[in-house]
Amino acid sequence: MNVALLYLLLLKATSTSFSGLTSPVLRHDLVERHRVLTDRQLNAAVAAGRTAPGPNGLYVVSVGYFVAGVPGACAGCLAAMTPAFAIIVLLRYLGRRAERPAVRSAIQSVTLAAAGLVINATIPLARDAITGPLPIAIGVASFLFLAFTRYATVWVIVGAALAGLAGGFAGLIQP
Amino acid sequence: MVSLSLRRLSLIYLRVSSLTFGGGDPTMAALQSELVTRHGWLSREKYGLVYGLARITPGTNILAFCAGTAWELKGWPGAILAVLGATVPAAAAVVLLTVGYEAFKQNARAMAAIAGTLAAAVGMMTVSAWQLVRPDLRRERILRALVLVAGSVLLSYVFRMSPIWILGMAALAGFFWRAPVPE
Repeated sequence: MNVALLYLLLLKATSTSFSGLTSPVLRHDLVERHRVLTDRQLNAAVAAGRTAPGPNGLYVVSVGYFVAGVPGACAGCLAAMTPAFAIIVLLRYLGRRAERPAVRSAIQSVTLAAAGLVINATIPLARDAITGPLPIAIGVASFLFLAFTRYATVWVIVGAALAGLAGGFAGLIQP
Repeated sequence: MVSLSLRRLSLIYLRVSSLTFGGGDPTMAALQSELVTRHGWLSREKYGLVYGLARITPGTNILAFCAGTAWELKGWPGAILAVLGATVPAAAAVVLLTVGYEAFKQNARAMAAIAGTLAAAVGMMTVSAWQLVRPDLRRERILRALVLVAGSVLLSYVFRMSPIWILGMAALAGFFWRAPVPE
């Protein structure tokens, strides 16, 4: 498949998906219509996207790689990035109105609702990740570290990875 | 406060995105910790605004979030570098995983290290929620804060309502129910 066409199809998929969900448009275009991807490859792409660090939405990079190798992966990367810049149009529009009391109050309310959504996103992650005393200790330690110190977050992540590795050797953590 | 250069800003996005597992939410929590809490470059209100708008932007929320927060701090060059920093190394990891996914899944050491970072992500996200709510935990504002946070949890967890609708309803509620100004 032509890489430019692949980019446009992947862009169509990323532009029509919200909240990082797998796009049904992508399956329709690449699996059913053009037949350049199998369901098995799509599942493997989603799994790779979820296992790698960073955004889950980067499964389109894996899809691109399956369809057209490294140039396809680059097309997928570009298709994932392109819609992100639409937020700047929204910010420019709202930014000019942000000092109005009603808009300010609405933004404060959105911030509080965002906290609720973060709590909601934490629950399934905690169910998967907190599987014994060591993960509990890592979770609590990272909370305390970030809440009460000014160390960079990266140290918390590196420390947690090392603790997980040590726990793996000692049989204290389930991979 | 440490001054913010384009290089420093892009390195933060690159580092956080390359090392945070578990998808967009832990990455946003880690960026909140860096940009809002640790360095104070972005106000809590701006963070909330970008978070809300990232949810309604098509595509991958976290990339819109990176573009929005970096645009607030350093304009278009910041937005472009932040999105590149958050995407390119992670995309390279996705390609490597695509090539060797089965072998990687069998590597107990790598999976144990990832399990450790996922446990840390739970702590990071709890801190993130706490830091968003904490300034509103004052006597004159606490009722409004509790109603909005609990309502958001209830609608998303129990009723499985889309985040876009929840944030829209919160904005509408905030439009009419304003926080009391302290005397």
